[in-house]
Amino acid sequence: MYVTVRVEVEKCSGCKLCIVSCPDPNVLAFIPEAKHVVVNEHRCKGCGLCATVCPEEALTVSGN
Amino acid sequence: MSTKIITPVAEFAELLPQEYKDLVARGPHGGRRSVRDLGTFKEIVDEHPHCAGCGVALAVRLLAAALPSPADTLIVGTPGCSFFSLVQTALNYSNTAFGNQNAVAAGLKRMLAIRFPQVHKDVVVVAGDGGIADIGLDMTLHSWFRREKITTVMLDNEVYANTGGQESGMSRLGRVLNMAPRGKLFPKIPVFELAKVSGCVYGARVTVAGPYRLGRVVRNAVLLARELGPTYVQVYAPCPTNMKFPPDQTLKAAKEAEKDHYSFEEFMSTEAAEYLARLKTAPEEREEAPEPAKP
Repeated sequence: MYVTVRVEVEKCSGCKLCIVSCPDPNVLAFIPEAKHVVVNEHRCKGCGLCATVCPEEALTVSGN
Repeated sequence: MSTKIITPVAEFAELLPQEYKDLVARGPHGGRRSVRDLGTFKEIVDEHPHCAGCGVALAVRLLAAALPSPADTLIVGTPGCSFFSLVQTALNYSNTAFGNQNAVAAGLKRMLAIRFPQVHKDVVVVAGDGGIADIGLDMTLHSWFRREKITTVMLDNEVYANTGGQESGMSRLGRVLNMAPRGKLFPKIPVFELAKVSGCVYGARVTVAGPYRLGRVVRNAVLLARELGPTYVQVYAPCPTNMKFPPDQTLKAAKEAEKDHYSFEEFMSTEAAEYLARLKTAPEEREEAPEPAKP
């Protein structure tokens, strides 16, 4: 099973800290209309950096 | 590489891979982008092979987003970890023999200044600590002595990570690595201090833990290199694979380094300070992406 990050959109405040702390491109994208981020699970390497910076604890890495 | 050059003719548009279509439709060219806009455009086109939690890959992402005019920027790199993701950025990229990056960049900058006299073509050197501080130190210092108008960015992971963990000149004193079992025997090479006395008009030392600050200093460095002279940015990018910490601790390691030996430091000449103050009052004057030159 691949390790990947998942976002709980109800908790996400749209601060984009996860996007500027992710080393991989185009994994996390911001949806301006909905004001939350979405994850491209096929691109995620599961390092968990985004989960450590999220102030709302909206991101969890599967497998942990 | 403006959007006009990369846009395919209508007949071919359907045949191209999705990455190329994304590059044209959602690439970094045209319009002003910054680190704050990350996640709304594609700064790196395709996947890169960096390890999970790589500090260098994060630094390259932030740097690619912070450039003032990506369509008119040429990145010059050298072998090492950094070029894995640099070749995937939507920017003009040139690789060089190990250590020659500043000499090649100086030549390219002079050539571009003759070929495109109406347009600012930014030449940015992005290389690791091995390329700049060890093998390329003489080329780097001489480009600064000659006051070449290029920006040098060092992605300092304090190890030769690409080849299995040999000590580099920028490794810390006493650091034990895969292929340095007795620990590093001498302290870090003070490249930042050398930049101060070698003619750089602007220099900054940052870590990947401050993404917006990294974006700001890279933008300052590129804009000052257009007008005044060489600039230098040193970025601390921790390596989880060789420093043996879990990949989700990269930013924590960078923050700890910020309190210790990698505190934020910035220096600039008097002219550079005046220029930046002028930019602040009239930001649109210089930061606009210039019109592409007619061939």
